[in-house]
Amino acid sequence: MNKDSLRRYSTVLIVSIILILLAVYVSLTNGTYDLSVRDILETLFRINPTPDKDLVIFEFRLPRIIVAALVGFGLGIAGTVIQGITKNGLADPGILGINSGASLTIVLFIFLFNGKLKGAGLISILSMPLFGLIGGLGSALLIYLFAWKNGRLDTQRLILVGIAISSGLGALSLFISLKMDAADFEMAAVWINGSIWGANWKYIVSIIPWLLVLVPIIISKSFVLDLFQLEEDSVKSLGVSTEKEKGVLLLAAIGIVSACVSVSGNIGFVGLLAPHIAKTLVGIHHNRVIFVSGLVGMLLLIASDFIGKTIFSPVELPVGIVISIIGIPYFVYLLIKSKA
Amino acid sequence: MAKNRPIPIIILLLSPIVIILAIVLSVIYGAKDININVIRDAFLNFDGENVNHQIIMYSRIPRVIGALLIGAFLAISGAIMQGMTRNYLASPSIMGVSDGSVFAITICMIFFPDTSSLNMIFYSFVGSAIGAGLVFGLASLTPNGMSPVRLAIIGTITGSFLSSISAALSTYFQVSQNISFWYNAKLHQITPDKIKIIIPFAIIGIITSLIISKSITILSLGEEISISLGQNTKLIKIVAMGTVVILTGISVALAGKIAFVGLIIPHIVRFFVGSDYRWIVPCSGVMGAILLAFSDIISRFINYPFETPIGVVTSFIGVPFFLYLARTKGGKK
Repeated sequence: MNKDSLRRYSTVLIVSIILILLAVYVSLTNGTYDLSVRDILETLFRINPTPDKDLVIFEFRLPRIIVAALVGFGLGIAGTVIQGITKNGLADPGILGINSGASLTIVLFIFLFNGKLKGAGLISILSMPLFGLIGGLGSALLIYLFAWKNGRLDTQRLILVGIAISSGLGALSLFISLKMDAADFEMAAVWINGSIWGANWKYIVSIIPWLLVLVPIIISKSFVLDLFQLEEDSVKSLGVSTEKEKGVLLLAAIGIVSACVSVSGNIGFVGLLAPHIAKTLVGIHHNRVIFVSGLVGMLLLIASDFIGKTIFSPVELPVGIVISIIGIPYFVYLLIKSKA
Repeated sequence: MAKNRPIPIIILLLSPIVIILAIVLSVIYGAKDININVIRDAFLNFDGENVNHQIIMYSRIPRVIGALLIGAFLAISGAIMQGMTRNYLASPSIMGVSDGSVFAITICMIFFPDTSSLNMIFYSFVGSAIGAGLVFGLASLTPNGMSPVRLAIIGTITGSFLSSISAALSTYFQVSQNISFWYNAKLHQITPDKIKIIIPFAIIGIITSLIISKSITILSLGEEISISLGQNTKLIKIVAMGTVVILTGISVALAGKIAFVGLIIPHIVRFFVGSDYRWIVPCSGVMGAILLAFSDIISRFINYPFETPIGVVTSFIGVPFFLYLARTKGGKK
């Protein structure tokens, strides 16, 4: 079947949605406390709710699944945009400095304030993601400013500056984290390695607006991403105002990644892997790739989170590690099968 | 390119002076400061009973030589990788070399916990070779897999796969801390014996990379151009990758993961000397050696009396400098 055909696209869409639903089902029913489908339906539709099941479903499992789904979707889309703009298959949300900036502010936050903010109030729950968001946006902005010169954004320079600032901030975080005491260090390490165990409804509420606003913007610009794959001069001669479009797309990607990273920690790898898988599945047209990449990211993250929390239970594997272990063999298979 | 000629020559001429300075400073300063006269004595008439002489000969000198060599290895491998793949994000770490080593060491720590440290180095090297072999194996199975972009992607994902498996295994068998210990704080454990092991590899690796540097320049123009210029691109690529595996494999085995040097030194050098790899390769080697040796000295003082991981210091020095260059020179091209 031709990679670009509409039939293939719809098959991919349907299959991935079915797989996502399957993953959601498995993660809802399995765990330390097994539930049947009936339990879940009864709890969800408030037919015969019990406090136990409410607790397991609404406080533990559902928020975590939804956060995983949203973050995976967001990172998959943002990754596609970043690879599209930079025309570099190795680029991932990490090069925008968002992960490292967010990590730095989180480490700083734990280092400076930990122990002073106790309790489960809204402020103390949201203050860490908020710091992460500020750090992520701040470092992305810094990279943007460094890469911006003479009224244009050179993508080559964006990549170089991005790596440099990311590793600088990473070094700074490491340096600060070495000065922490052991308990704080542990906490920072868990966050930096990427984890969605702390997921709750407030996190979900705090990232949904970003996705609702920014994803449609990106999808509406997908044709520009197609054009960007040409030489920059040809794009200009087609009448695209490249700098403006690049700016809009990048800012949208930055916003999404910051929101995702601030609730889930450092899970950049989805953003690298999902677009590649999507491109091998449905060809290179961005209006299709963007959406499929989001779905692939969603599936990867829900499934990986479930595996990570159950396989070595009660020890939890960082979700990023699981993503690589299950995502990469599949991607390699796709690569080997693909035509040159 | 002609106008750039003096700069690399200046770099190469000045480097011995800077390197000697790095050696002297590195021997003098540390947890115990040593007088320069004592150092002279240690060289001229070594006294096995004298503690200072022992520190100098068995700890400080091997350490600084190790830092210089490893810095050079990493930077040269980085330059070759970037030239060969024509990708600015390429660094030795995307060849599966360091992740392969982590994988081997993890297995080793879990199943053969009593292995001696010299044998560990050997296993680490074997792991690097396996990691790189896996990358090339997959690349040759993949259609168009040897193209720069595909190879880089395959290398990256294979590397993360290996390191994820290692992380999962070490979490399960609870050896993460030992592994992290093995990979950090490595430079000060370098002994004269280890230096002796790496010298032959150093000579082979550096000479090979200088020989192929001209071909790398041609390769960096693009696959088609280099083929039409009559180059045997496949042979060059294999030799180049072999060199990278030897150089980084040794570095990882001896010093753990020092990611930054291999990525950023070639960029800094390119800003100064242009795009001719006959100059980029030697200058990268020299600059990498100097950066790592000085970072090693600084790492002893930044959080005195504790030593700071050297990767932190290399970033603190390298990043601002790199940003400055990217700002001022990057636009010209």
